[in-house]
Amino acid sequence: MSGRVGIIGIGQSNFQPRRNDAAYPDLVREAVVIAMRDAGLEFDEIEAVVYSLSPDAMVGIGTAERLGVDAVGARNKRFLRINTGGATGISSVATAWTHIASGACDVVLTAGADKVGECGDSQTVLNKIWDPMYERSLPLGTINMLAMSAVRYAHKYGMTQEDMARVVVKNRRHASKNPHAHLRTETTIEEVLASRMISWPVKLFDCCPQSSGGCAMVLASERWIRQRGLEAVWITGLAHSSETYYLGDRMGRGYTADHADAHALKASFKKSYAMAGIKDPRKQVHAAELYAPFSNTEFHSIEAADLADLGASPAMIREGAFALGANAGAVVNPSGGVLCTNAIAVTAMVRVAEAALQVWGRAGERQIKGARVGIASGNGGDHQFFGTMVVEA
Amino acid sequence: MAAGPRVGVVGVTIRPSIPDDGHHSLEEHLHDAMKATLADAGLTTDDLEGIAVGANDQYDGRAITVMMASAPLGGVDRDILSTPSSGEHAFILGALRIASGQFRTQLVVAWSPIEASSIPEAQRLANDPLFHRRLPLDELAAAALQANALEHAEPGTGRVADGVLAAGRRNGARAFPKLVKADPPKGRPTRWPLREDTVPKPVTGIVALMLASEDFIRERGLDPVAWISGMGWATETAFLGDRDLAKAPALESAAKQAYGEAGVADAATAFDLAEVTDVTPYQALIALDALGLASRAQWRDKLPEFGPDGRLPVNLSGGVASLNPVFCTGLIRIAEVANQLRGRAGAHQKPGVKRGLAHAASGPAMQYQTVIILDAGRNAA
Repeated sequence: MSGRVGIIGIGQSNFQPRRNDAAYPDLVREAVVIAMRDAGLEFDEIEAVVYSLSPDAMVGIGTAERLGVDAVGARNKRFLRINTGGATGISSVATAWTHIASGACDVVLTAGADKVGECGDSQTVLNKIWDPMYERSLPLGTINMLAMSAVRYAHKYGMTQEDMARVVVKNRRHASKNPHAHLRTETTIEEVLASRMISWPVKLFDCCPQSSGGCAMVLASERWIRQRGLEAVWITGLAHSSETYYLGDRMGRGYTADHADAHALKASFKKSYAMAGIKDPRKQVHAAELYAPFSNTEFHSIEAADLADLGASPAMIREGAFALGANAGAVVNPSGGVLCTNAIAVTAMVRVAEAALQVWGRAGERQIKGARVGIASGNGGDHQFFGTMVVEA
Repeated sequence: MAAGPRVGVVGVTIRPSIPDDGHHSLEEHLHDAMKATLADAGLTTDDLEGIAVGANDQYDGRAITVMMASAPLGGVDRDILSTPSSGEHAFILGALRIASGQFRTQLVVAWSPIEASSIPEAQRLANDPLFHRRLPLDELAAAALQANALEHAEPGTGRVADGVLAAGRRNGARAFPKLVKADPPKGRPTRWPLREDTVPKPVTGIVALMLASEDFIRERGLDPVAWISGMGWATETAFLGDRDLAKAPALESAAKQAYGEAGVADAATAFDLAEVTDVTPYQALIALDALGLASRAQWRDKLPEFGPDGRLPVNLSGGVASLNPVFCTGLIRIAEVANQLRGRAGAHQKPGVKRGLAHAASGPAMQYQTVIILDAGRNAA
């Protein structure tokens, strides 16, 4: 590739539980308009669009990207959709990067939206990700899938439900400073522990919300950015890696990867760091937007990002690490993270957007002072597909 | 892709009609296709750096259907991405990923099963829920509306279309004699002016291609190679009412991109063969016009040129008119051209092919349009 790829525009909805005022394409358009204004571009300057949409059933329309073509201004332009489940957003940013790094385009828009809270029951939709013969009938959902990870993680490393609650308290405090976040009310450990049990040991407050809203980003080649004298932050590392499909392959005797940890996420971060030249993430990373839809999964995500040793992150959070205002090390999910906002089609794109805003110095009240290096991740499928990215000022 | 390394097709597997033997799952068929493609390239799974999949949840009856396919295609511990918009978009994704310099190889795969209880119903779910879903508007109906629009714009097109369909079927019977009949019995009108026999019944299919960077190809001494010289893709809007269905501006845009990259000045004389997506013969005619191969005024007179012995054979494989694995018909067009350039097209191989054109279209009334130009290895390397 020739030159770097930069982020020059970011747009996010203020995510909410419902958006009765906006049809699905309207939500996509909302984010696109903000991103285009942020970049200061006209639609004629966009050469390609990468459309970010995970399971169609969440918006109740099959191959719903077709209805989004006008919302993203793609008519008669290059256009394709990405779907890697919850990782879709970061996979879409990666694909937009690919369009530019390959030399095919100079300016690419990536965008999408979701209406998770309006789909009826997201867990019923998500049950359909499993094989119809073997695992679909158990009945699995993404909550009990990762509750099993919590049990295993607690068994291996001694995590408690109070540890899980501390993640929620931290992220809700962060989200209270983020105008785009869905859950912005601060909470306490006691409130988290008293919330309704969903799938032991995961309680209601340990779970992400079901959000409606959109996200869009404009990427461009370094040459194009320099020619126009635009401001940008740079994508310096990116990768994906995958685990097995069958959950049964991640537990019991002879498992291929331990369900407590995030084996493929770690592998993906390792590749992203190598590409970006990050040798010591614990010293070099300032902002980490990690895809953790349940409180327990933030621990193994922190460890997969090599911001802590395996099993060490609960004790570090007890000591106040990874929070806004912490004395040292990266702040994890300064936006409030997935625990406070989850519009699945764009959740992982929001991770990249928020990491970019941090290193850009444009994160408002949630800004980490002096942040220069940010990381982002996305998880998709049944904790199967993982995308990671490094962004730098 | 001026900035990136050149990308070549080094392995191809086309399974355009897989019978249901009751013993093999889709996962097993996918794994088999992956192994066959690597073998065709002279490579092993260890050489696989990434995978680009074209897969559609509605046809597969799963959410995030790439999850199921990942392990059979070698995705575990690898970088696998999925595009549900079309099979041919997976080819674009794979090629761009290599051209970016991030990968040296990519497996590109698309498939299309027929387990869905009703493919037309699955297609109707794609319609806008407020205005169009209550209409019986599946993709065959959209193709019929397009045929009507073309007949209205160019009166007498139906007779030309009949000739195109017959020529496609003759090619199909030559290429796949066990699967395709040259002259199937005429069916009843189904969605006027289309008859039941105009569009073949959907079948299960899989198509896979192995792509590699020029340095990898040279380092490993891979041969034969079909080099990607031009690539273009574009979309129309979704609402049929917002389009002039007799025209294909997105295809014109895609062709302009691909021809610009490949340095094609006169499409009518630039290629040795072409594969166009012809869900209906009317779509084939629209494509020939938008690709610059035959203007509307030339359709009737130029048809002989597009026969197997003509100057520019079109759809030597028989096209979609002969075999219709719905979601992978576009990627199969690309794979067919690649195999022609690699001298591995089998019964329908044309000798001495140097430059080929593949056109892929997907979605209602050809919403997504893709143009790929491939060059033979020894001539372009």
